[in-house]
Amino acid sequence: MQEEVLPDIAESDLETFFQIMHAVYGYDFREYARASVLRRLGTIFKKYGLPDMKALNQRLLKQRDFFETFLHEFRIGATELFRDPSAWVALRKQVLPLFMANQQIRIWHAGASTGEEVLSLAILLTEIGLYPRSQIYATDIDPKTLQIAPKARYPLRHKRLYMENFQQVLPDVPFSKYAREEGNELVFDPQLLQNVRFLRHNLVSDEPFSRFEMILCRNVLIYFTPELQDRVIRKFIQALVPGGILMIGTKESLFWCKEAEKAFVPINSIERLYRRQA
Amino acid sequence: MKSEAPYLWIIGGSAGSFTPLRQALLNLPYDPDMTIVLCLHRLKQARFQITDAFLRIKGWRVAEPDDKTPIEGGCIYIAPADYHLLIEKEGYFSLSVEEPVHFSRPSIDVTMFSLIQAGWPRAGGILLSGANKDGAQGLFKMYQVGYFTAVQDPADAEVPHMPTAALALFTPHEVFPISTLPHLLTQKPIPPK
Repeated sequence: MQEEVLPDIAESDLETFFQIMHAVYGYDFREYARASVLRRLGTIFKKYGLPDMKALNQRLLKQRDFFETFLHEFRIGATELFRDPSAWVALRKQVLPLFMANQQIRIWHAGASTGEEVLSLAILLTEIGLYPRSQIYATDIDPKTLQIAPKARYPLRHKRLYMENFQQVLPDVPFSKYAREEGNELVFDPQLLQNVRFLRHNLVSDEPFSRFEMILCRNVLIYFTPELQDRVIRKFIQALVPGGILMIGTKESLFWCKEAEKAFVPINSIERLYRRQA
Repeated sequence: MKSEAPYLWIIGGSAGSFTPLRQALLNLPYDPDMTIVLCLHRLKQARFQITDAFLRIKGWRVAEPDDKTPIEGGCIYIAPADYHLLIEKEGYFSLSVEEPVHFSRPSIDVTMFSLIQAGWPRAGGILLSGANKDGAQGLFKMYQVGYFTAVQDPADAEVPHMPTAALALFTPHEVFPISTLPHLLTQKPIPPK
């Protein structure tokens, strides 16, 4: 069972950590929300048997091949198939029908993590008949999760939750249409990933892609400071075509981005679905 | 951290805490210099129901905070289901979907530890009736760094496991029956150094 640790991290050691991340590995974590950064670092010490932040800094400096493991632990966020079912119901009923006349639908799934929500989206697009015209770019900062996502295989213990969520969103569709058991795993239909490209992309530092009909970015902004949220949301505004849709996590908001007030109208403010103004 | 930051209570509980807690808060006089954060374990599908149950408390604004909501006085915040609720030193909440702690998300330990990390100037921690030991470590650490701590009397708690787990670790400033909670809250105690 997971126990909580209270990390004792000196401000100067945290500063050193940020510098190592930036200078050696090219990642800028200074604008990540502090409470969660401290929490992750504390968890990582404990897991790798390190006494303190200084030791973690040393290991990150000297052992380059530890970095990928570190990044994976640092950025881990638990996701699930159709997390927040009511949000996906809203997407299915209020958003996807808007695209029925489109020749093509370009979608950016930013922070796709282990891919459960990419599959959620692909299932809804398939059900409404839009999938053949869709191209999904699923990006994440963490290369390890990008190895997991394309396999579309998950531990079988998640089946009950995923199936319950699925049935809330698609009550008339059997779960077995898209997923089956194989040994200890729940395996999704590989067809769902036919129009998906998984790419490494850092929301903070990389140039945004552009000309999207829809952007999904759920439970990523929560790890950022208000200032960084503002910058990333402005990237989304640029990357969306007029009339394009933004879907964020149900407890995330556009509150800290002034430009968003003018740029977006809510389609469903409870489920956090927004449409970019023409 | 602004020096005019309100006195912040973190109240943790799970099984057996909702109804008596709601009853107690109904009698709490409004105080713009007080913020109450309720970190209650609950089933994840019950997205709005608990907030509705607490909604009408005279004078107080009751809300499930969004991520990065500024923390204000005169507010009762309820940790949203299926997220950890963290307090940032800049004076707003952060949410997180990191793994559950003690099978719980929100976890009381996580919220209490974040308050300590943030160095919130005036605060108190309370544990109520509950079915596991989440919150015991968090409250103990709050005690160690000098915040006020209180635990519902296990004999008064419907499910005594959570208060008992805290009492096994240390002796808090107060052990109380839930009927005296409003009085305790209004005192906004600060332990002597």
